[in-house]
Amino acid sequence: MASTSNHQYQSPEIEDDLIDPDDADLNDFDDPLARNESRQPLTGNIGTSSSSGGGRPLNEQSWTSRIGGEDRSAPVNTIDETVWETLRRDLLAVWSKMREVLYPRYLFGGTMFDSAEGGSVGGGLRGVYANLRGAGLSGAREELAGLAGRVMDPEALLNQSNMSPGLRDWDMWGPLIFCLLLSLLLSFRAKDDQKDVVFSGVFAMVWIGEAVVTLQIKLLGGNISFAQSVCIIGYTLFPLVIAALLSALSIPVVVRIPVYIVLIAWSLAAGVSILGGSGVVKNRVGIAVYPLFVFYLGLGCLCFIS
Amino acid sequence: MSGAGYDAVVDVDDEGAAAAGDGVVGGAGAGSSKRYLWTMSFYAQFFDVDTSSVLQRCWAALYPRANFLDVLEGNPDLYGPFWIATTVVFILFIAGTISQWNAMAGNGPFLYDFRLLSGAAGLIYGYTLVIPVLLFGALKYFGSESANLLECWALYGYANLIWIPVALVSWSQIQILNYVFVGVGLGMSVAFLLRNMYPVLSATDRQTSKVLLILVVALHCGLAIAIKVLFFKAGSPVANKDAPPAETPKPGEGGAAMLLARFLLS
Repeated sequence: MASTSNHQYQSPEIEDDLIDPDDADLNDFDDPLARNESRQPLTGNIGTSSSSGGGRPLNEQSWTSRIGGEDRSAPVNTIDETVWETLRRDLLAVWSKMREVLYPRYLFGGTMFDSAEGGSVGGGLRGVYANLRGAGLSGAREELAGLAGRVMDPEALLNQSNMSPGLRDWDMWGPLIFCLLLSLLLSFRAKDDQKDVVFSGVFAMVWIGEAVVTLQIKLLGGNISFAQSVCIIGYTLFPLVIAALLSALSIPVVVRIPVYIVLIAWSLAAGVSILGGSGVVKNRVGIAVYPLFVFYLGLGCLCFIS
Repeated sequence: MSGAGYDAVVDVDDEGAAAAGDGVVGGAGAGSSKRYLWTMSFYAQFFDVDTSSVLQRCWAALYPRANFLDVLEGNPDLYGPFWIATTVVFILFIAGTISQWNAMAGNGPFLYDFRLLSGAAGLIYGYTLVIPVLLFGALKYFGSESANLLECWALYGYANLIWIPVALVSWSQIQILNYVFVGVGLGMSVAFLLRNMYPVLSATDRQTSKVLLILVVALHCGLAIAIKVLFFKAGSPVANKDAPPAETPKPGEGGAAMLLARFLLS
């Protein structure tokens, strides 16, 4: 595989060489072999991280190696591993991506790697908690003020780069799983003769909503990858799945209101991260966030009344 | 080879060469202002707004002081119409559900009606999408040169804005209040539409413009009545009949007929 693709790209290299200036020496030319070498350690990483499957690949190594689906094309021999191992690798990829997506980094600062052994949201939140305990009431006020400031500050949102390698290779597993779960859980609590309508309606609403929201951001000048954005929005449905689960368990309305507001806010905070580094100009952030807001709020309200 | 020769020949006129080159490469788009139908940038020109201008347009739609077409400044957007319509759909659904829940409070567990959502989507999206197209067609047919499809869409879309506050407050059970709220919504949006469309409509001859105006008003009354009876129907005359909103007749026809009947009866 690698050698054939290499072969195809050799002729443009030669042409480039032909039009290079005469005074360039050999070191200035692009060496096709060098590119090959830079690729080699990457695939090597995948091999080690996925074949050492016994341990938890959720350490820092798994962020730098690209486990998302890259391994399917990588020259690692996956033919003799068990089906469970293959599935597990995909599930772990979903899980790690979820951890990364659902943590609104621009709000709490820091990264999830601060405490690698902690839970998903625990890392950054624990820092906030430590601040709170250290500084008491005034610290709490400061923290809240800082948080409120960051919520209203479009620059912090735009300047963050969400292009961590884990997110760059998108997959549709998360969106599919969460979309199915959401439709299923919501259809449990629908009218008897409307269960199918609710299931299909929610399913269609989620996918069309994701597509429309992404298109809208692109139309407003955002330079984001369509599939990647759909992937991220799909992963941020997780809090709403929790909401739908709570609804399916029919918890009382009084509990629902605060919990659901928090869950919707969590989804929204995680979802707007697709705007990071997208190139949407600052005075359009408001109208770029609004579609996401409507999307999450609509689904959240649907969970609420179920 | 021939291309190189062509370039060499027309090179004397730089701009002409550039334009011709574009034409050769692009095919359909001759000038730089033309955009291709299937590219993102073609559609991005309909969304060329920012937050403050959208808010300003919304405010101008709710509290009209100047002609709305002047507020648009020749740059009608589709952002407002689409997302206002979406918001109205969801708020109508939620408010309608709350209204139903109010109506049957205490009668066992409440289950929401998902068809309310599809009904709202069909009604609002359909009305906002189709009626401006029809109006635009009629205006073109009767020879109005200033008609602009995008402006029609923008007008109708921003006119929908009033239904957001109306739906937010009319979940209650007090019938009089609900009629008043929907009436206010109808009045404001019709006033908004008429005020901004009158200059365009009056470009056609007197008889036609009168008919078109009446049609616009009647269709809008149809929309208001449909909203009232489909989403806040508790206690209204059709509450007992279980009319599924999904089978709403084209907004307008039924409503307009009803309105006419009401006029004739009174």
